[in-house]
Order: sequence, then C-alpha cells, then structure tokens
Amino acid sequence: MDLESLKKEAKLEIQKAKTIDELESIRIKHLGKKGSLTKILHSIGNLSVTERPKVGQLANKLKNELAESIEEKKKTIGKGKSYPWIDTSLPGRKSNTGGLHPLSILSQEIQDIFIRMGFSVVTGPEIETEYYNFTALNTPKHHPARDMHDTFYLKDGRLLRTHTSPVQIRTLEKNSPPLRIISPGKCYRVDTFDPIHSPTFTQIEGLWVDKNISMADLFGTLDSFAKNIFGKDVKTEFFPSYFPFTEPSAEMWIECPFCKGKGCSVCKKRGKIETVGAGMVHPNILKSLGYEGCNGFAFGMGVDRIAMTKYDIDDIRLFFQNELQFLRQFNDSKL
Amino acid sequence: MIVNYNWLSEWVDIKTPPEKLSEFLAKIGIEVEEVEKVSGDTIYKIDITPNRGDLLSVIGIAREIAAKTEKNLKKSIDYKFPEENAENTVNVEIESEEDCPRYTASPLDNMQVSNSPSFITERLKKCGIRPLNNVVDITNYVLLETGQPLHAFDLDKLQKGITVRRATKGEKITTLEEEEKELSKKDLIIADDNGPIALAGIMGGLKSGITEDTKRIVLESAFFKPSLIREASRRLKISTESSYRFERTVDMYMVGYAAYCAIQLFKEYAKGKIMGKIVDTNPNPTLTKTIPFSYSKINNLLGMTVEKEKSIKILENLGFKVSNKNEDKAEALIPSHRNDLKIEEDLIEEIGRFTGYDNIPLRFKYTNYVPVRTENKELVEIKKIVVRMGFWEAINIPFIEPEWAFKKNVDAIYLENPMWSDKGILRNTLIPGLLENVKRNLNRGEEIVKIFEVGRIFSKGKEEEENIGGVIAGNISKKWYEKEREVDFYDIKGIIETLLGDIKIKDYSLKDCTDPLFIKERALSINSGGELCGTFGMINQGICKNDVFGFEINLKKLLKHKKEERFKKVSIFPPLKRDISIIVDEKTPFEEIETLLDNLTRQRARIKLIDVYSAKKLGKDKKSLTIRLEFYNPNKTLTDDETKDDIKAITTKLKSIGATLRE
Repeated sequence: MDLESLKKEAKLEIQKAKTIDELESIRIKHLGKKGSLTKILHSIGNLSVTERPKVGQLANKLKNELAESIEEKKKTIGKGKSYPWIDTSLPGRKSNTGGLHPLSILSQEIQDIFIRMGFSVVTGPEIETEYYNFTALNTPKHHPARDMHDTFYLKDGRLLRTHTSPVQIRTLEKNSPPLRIISPGKCYRVDTFDPIHSPTFTQIEGLWVDKNISMADLFGTLDSFAKNIFGKDVKTEFFPSYFPFTEPSAEMWIECPFCKGKGCSVCKKRGKIETVGAGMVHPNILKSLGYEGCNGFAFGMGVDRIAMTKYDIDDIRLFFQNELQFLRQFNDSKL
Repeated sequence: MIVNYNWLSEWVDIKTPPEKLSEFLAKIGIEVEEVEKVSGDTIYKIDITPNRGDLLSVIGIAREIAAKTEKNLKKSIDYKFPEENAENTVNVEIESEEDCPRYTASPLDNMQVSNSPSFITERLKKCGIRPLNNVVDITNYVLLETGQPLHAFDLDKLQKGITVRRATKGEKITTLEEEEKELSKKDLIIADDNGPIALAGIMGGLKSGITEDTKRIVLESAFFKPSLIREASRRLKISTESSYRFERTVDMYMVGYAAYCAIQLFKEYAKGKIMGKIVDTNPNPTLTKTIPFSYSKINNLLGMTVEKEKSIKILENLGFKVSNKNEDKAEALIPSHRNDLKIEEDLIEEIGRFTGYDNIPLRFKYTNYVPVRTENKELVEIKKIVVRMGFWEAINIPFIEPEWAFKKNVDAIYLENPMWSDKGILRNTLIPGLLENVKRNLNRGEEIVKIFEVGRIFSKGKEEEENIGGVIAGNISKKWYEKEREVDFYDIKGIIETLLGDIKIKDYSLKDCTDPLFIKERALSINSGGELCGTFGMINQGICKNDVFGFEINLKKLLKHKKEERFKKVSIFPPLKRDISIIVDEKTPFEEIETLLDNLTRQRARIKLIDVYSAKKLGKDKKSLTIRLEFYNPNKTLTDDETKDDIKAITTKLKSIGATLRE
C-alpha cells in the first residue's frame, strides 16, 4: 500500500470511530509493532538510496499525524466519561402550560377555515333588540318560526340574542355588498340544562352577499368546510329545510364519523349528523336594507354540537363545568 | 307530528319500504326524528318546519310522497255537503271576516255517544291521542287525517245561535280542562247568547262540551286568523293540537272537506243524522294567489340546470297550475294548502327540493376578496399568553346571583324569564363563575387550579364589555426538586406583570384596590392612561375554603394602551453586575428603593431584587434587601472603574434615606 491511500484509509477510520477501543485498534492496525505504517517504515531499507530519505520523511510525518489525530479523537470521545451517573429516568422539570377551552379551539379552527376563503370576522352585542334578532330577519312577531328560538327576555324588554344573525344585519347596515363575513359568538336559548341542551352555546354564522351567488356556491363552501374539520373523506349530504331568513333553505348533514353511516348512539342510529343550517338570503331582508340586484347565502352552525361530534362528547354540560380533567384532554397544537 | 305507514298507504301508493321511508322523506325536506316498528305498522315521529302547516296531516304527507313519485292520491278530496231542511239550521254570525274567513256549522241529532270502533282508537293511540268517546274521537281522527281541527258543541247546551267574535275585556270562560281563563279584546271566541262557549281554535268551553248524554251536536270546522290564535294561545298558556295547526295556517278548502268526513263518520259510528242546513260562510274559496317566476332564475339561484319541462312537471305534481307568459317567464297558481309560498324564491325551493339537493353541484369560486381578521385577533394572542402561564380556559353560563351586583355596587340587568330562579341577573363580573370552577376542581382533588375566562359582562346603562378574568388557588405541589407551597399574592402579581409585559403595555401603574370583590390589603388596581383597567389580588369570597387569588381586566380599556416597540440594537458587550445589600425598615416599600435606583441609573442599568429576608440580627422591624445592578454599555465592555461613580452616588443616596449598607 502506498502512503497516500494509507493516509486516506486511516483518517476515515479515525473519523468513523465512536469508542476509545475502536481508536486503540486503529492505532494498533497502523502504528503498532505489526502495523501497516510500521511495516512501511521497516521496509524503507529496500528502497533506492535516493528514495529512502524522501519516503522516510513522509512516513514519519504521517506516523506523527495519525498518532495526533487518534489522541485528539480520544479526547472528544472521552469527555463524557468523567461525569458522574445521574438517574435519567427521574421526571423532568416542566413548565406547565394550560390550554384553551375545546369550544375556543374549535371555534378558532372553524374561523380560520373561512378566513382562508376570504371571510372577515365581525362580532356584535349579546344583548339584542326584537328588531335585530327577529323582525329584520324576516321573522315578524306571532310567526310560528319564533318557536324555533325560545328566547330569554330582559326586564327592560330587550333580549339575549338567540343566534349571531343580528350581527349580519348590523354589518349590512354599515357596509354595502359585496361582502363576506363570519360572526362567531355566544348565543342564548331557553332550554333545560341536560346532556343535550344548554341555555348558552357558541355559534358561527357566515354570510356572502354579492351578485349571482347560487346554491351550488353554498354547497361547495360548506362541503369544503366539512372536509377541513372532519377530514377529506367525510361524506356530506344536503337536505331541504326551512329558516325564515333564507329561501331556499338547506341543511348539511355529515356521515357519522364514528359508525361511518351504519348507525350508532352518537348519531342516534341515523348514520348521519346535522351540522349546518343554511340557505340563500331571503330577498325580503336585502330589500328592506335597500340592496337590490344582489343576492347571497348565509349559514350557521353550533360549535358545541360540532365539538360533541368531533370529540365524541356525550354530555354538553361538560363544556360548562370546566373541570380540569376534561379541559386537559384538548390541546391546541397551534399554540 | 306522528303518522304511520298504513294510514299513509290508504292515501298513496308507497313503493318505498317502511324502513326506507325516513330517507325518502328527508330528501324532500321532511325530517323524521324517530321511527318505531309496531306489529303490522311503522310509526314516524316527524319534525315539521313551522312554515308547513299543510304537512301536519296524513293527507299532507301523502301529497308530498305522491308528488315525488309522480302519482295521484288514491282517494279524492272532493266533497258535497248534503242539502237538508233549512228551517232547523244554526244561526252563525261572524263579527269579522278577517278574523274568521270561513266558518262551517253542521247540526246533527240522534247522536249516540259511546266508544269508537277499534280502527279509530288504534290510530289515535298510535298518534299519541287518548280515545274518549266516538264524537270526540272522530273529530280528532279527522284532524289527524286532514290537518283541519274540528270542534263539536252540545247543541242542547247552547243559548240560540253561534257568534264568532272578539271577547270583551273581563269576559271569562271555563275550558274543557276546567280552568277558568280571563279574556281580553285580543282573544277570538265562539259565543252563544250567554257568553263564550269556546276559545276559537284553541279549546272548547266546559259547559258546551260533549257528555254521555249528548244527543244533538253542532260540528264546527273553520279557518281562524293564524296570528290571533298564536297570540291567544301564548297569552293563555294553552297549546293544543288544534291551536298548533291554526297558528301554522290551515287549508281554506280542507275546512269543508274535513267537516264532510266527520259527518260521514258520525253517521256511521255514532248514528248521527243531519238535522238541518249546514252553514258555510265561504263555500267556494277561490284560488287567487299567483306567483310569477322565470326559468333562468331557477337555474341561476340553484346553480344547476333544470329543464323547463321538468320544472313545470314538478310544479304540476305539487298541484300548481303553470301558465307560460313567454319563453322565460311564467306564472304559477298556488293551491289552497300552500300558504307558505309567497315569492319566486319559494317556488325555486320547490323545484330544488323535488329535483333533489344532491343534484346541485358543489362549486368553489373564491377569488378577489382580502379577508380582514379584525376584532378577534388580539384576543386570541392574549388568551395564548395566559395559557402559556398555565391557565386553562373556562366557559361559564353568564347568569349569576344578584348578590354579586350588590357587592360590586353595580346596577344589574335582570332576566324576565331566568333559567334558574336564584341566578336572575346577567353577570357583571367573571369572578363568580370562576370561583365555582375552582371549588368544583378542588373538590375533584386537584392540587392547584388555574383557570381563566374571556367573556362579556353586563350592567345597566352601559355597553357590554369584554373582560378577561382568571383565578388561581391551591398548592404548588411538592416535587422532587421543589418544595410545596401555597399560592400567594406574588403568584398573581407575577402573572399580571408577565401578561402586561407580553401584550406590551408599558405605561401602567398599580394603585390601591377599590374593587370590593378583592381584599384591599392583598390587591392592587391596574391603571393606564388615567383609567382603571382592572384589579388583581386576593378575592373576597366565602365559596372556597382555600385562599383564591385572581384578576379581572377590561380588555378594551387595556388594549388602548398597547405600544408596539421599535427595534433596539442588540449589545454584544456583557453587562457588569454589582450586588448591593441594604438594611431598611420592614415597611419600606421596595418600590421606593427601585424608583430611587432607577432615577440614578436612568437607562444604563437593569435593577433586580435577588433577596429579601428578615432576621433578629438585623434589628427589630428591619429587613435586608439584596439588589443586583446590571450595567450596560452598547459600545464597550464596562470595567469596575467606570461604574464606581454610579455605585458611590447610589450608596450615598441610599444612606440618605436611612438605609444601612451591608458589606
């Protein structure tokens, strides 16, 4: 072997070595009594007189160089060796972070989906008037549709909003179309407080008013929303429905993510779960606000219900009891 | 509403098997909530939307099935009242045609009140109605089948004729359920010469009711103004199968057909005989409502193409008469049972419904708007800061006891119909809910509870405000590297300092606490720009055994003072650290020393308190403070010499206020 390839080989071996023992055997292999470099040094006598000093010099230089490299490497490997043993299995020092409420996490997630579609977030008051909560939404007094919203009234005649739709009216009063908004927030309805009912809930509503909006746009939007929340394979289905403020009206149901449509306790054996109520904004609403020649769609969903479906929670009251054992189970990975 | 398969099958050929009928109906917007299989039949509990009063009957549902399957109903709903002797008729007077546009009264005699035949009682039971006697059962049976509520009066108990009128103020009626109700001018009643005999469309009166001895009856079938019935039913707190249908609007035509059906059944199953002319105040209600529509609009609104012929076919199957005006425009004459249809969009929904929503394509055409995330963004940031400090977010129902408002001296907003009688006001502070959360969690065995909430608070005469509140209670638990200790004031103070620092509130001052929800010796108020933004410290409460520390901050007020800082150059030179220990009076606030040092060193040194302790050897009522000064210079590494003057000035000043320097 010539000196050049020997150098290459030995250097590579030193580089790769991970233990002191390995380095020792590399040293013996090349620099030991029977080592490859030692052999070359011993055989210098066989060379011509002119070559002898040149090769001798190079070989000695390489010998020192390798010895040095091995020593250096030994130092870097040897460093940890001098530390005393510790019990690495003891639990670490943690800084305990808390977490957001599951309804907050999901509400944020839903908002983010619509924000990416170009919706702006607007909020409004929780105490509302008859006008904004009902009348302006095509639900006059003594209309049976008011049965859909059992309302908390205040002593002063105002009420607690039963949906966030009043925000849509307030926004349309101030901003003319085209516009795309979502309004998240707390809503109130008179209901028993039991596993499936609660007097307050979180709603997110959306509104898009522009020209030539169709049911197809509405369905496409909601389908995309469902796939973002429940996974790209989720099956959505649309059914006719009724809301006083939309015409035509629709409901989006998703295939029950737990039984995949077979029917289970979560979906009450229906195989599917109602997720969103929606429809084309009723022309009366736009007309009374003075907007002609445009149309749009609106949709609304209860975050609590979606959370119950998404996380398989069977009692809505858990959201309001705020037990740490419950709250700890939800992690916002985006934090 | 409840219908069953067999009854429906009498009216329409159903090709769909019973177990698939729910799915079939869902496609056309009729939501079946529950399905129950009973021997030889299937029962469906259906949730009918409030606009579709016409679907609250067997015929109503059968009509939709027929339209979807392009069939006719198996039975005709044509009818003709029998012509009888006009002398024995019942006098009917209608005060206002608007309140009651159609009223029929059919007098029957020879009635034999007994049990109903089993086919009637069985069907009533399946629909959740308790059978009483053949007369009442037949009216209920016809109601279920046609959707038209009927009422039978005992003719022998009536004083002369029937008047449909508004009640006068103070008039009273005792209902069939033996409850006395006082009436108002808004209530529509049926009266005889002695006064009210029924609450129109809601419930009959006791004294004219059918009994075992009833021989002659008047059968009422009518149309009452929906909003009147709804209002009265709400005010009097009586809701019946009848009022439920009247307030959702009944079918003007069906008024007659239902009476006709009931008469047939009375004849057959109660031996009844028509005894006089049947009164009908509006025997041939004409169809006048037409809705113009355009075929292109159908396609534009649905976002799919529906052939013109198909649209016409759907409308005709639903009983509309379509007349084309030109290539694109047409008009539909609306049948009497579809009171819900008013505008073109309503018709388009019908076409969408029967074409099937699953045929509408999913389109996604988002371009050109820039989303603006406005009102929520800062809030999310603040929540995250609090979460990083170990807090869990809570959401509480914002109803609380009025005592909290008294405590805080706030004018509360009271609920008219509270959820819980003791929690009659809207919260004016987030603290009560959070205290309940702490209590619950400590009872669950949690060692430490750190919980926060963001939510609206309400008080009279003020706009609702968004607050953030948080509480901490319990023990910082023992760990192998840390001692156990109870949480205290400095925990909550540190939390507030971190929070304010992280949201970049620089100019704030902490002052004496004025909020009665906190203990003033253990709490401070947060002030910025001359405005009170919040309070923190030990909470004055009797709910939890443990001490609870907390904070409540008005977010809007606080965020007004947020300042974005400009970027400062990073110094590559290490600071020079000098520690000074002094002995001062126990009650000397650290703030005093800190201000003094700050003034002397200006921007050149960072001041850190690294030790505080009291001991006998320091002297009575004395404490020792060790302060670390970190001197910075952006341009060079400082030497001891260069800070000598500063240190000297500091020690001189400290001595001048009575501090003793410890070497």
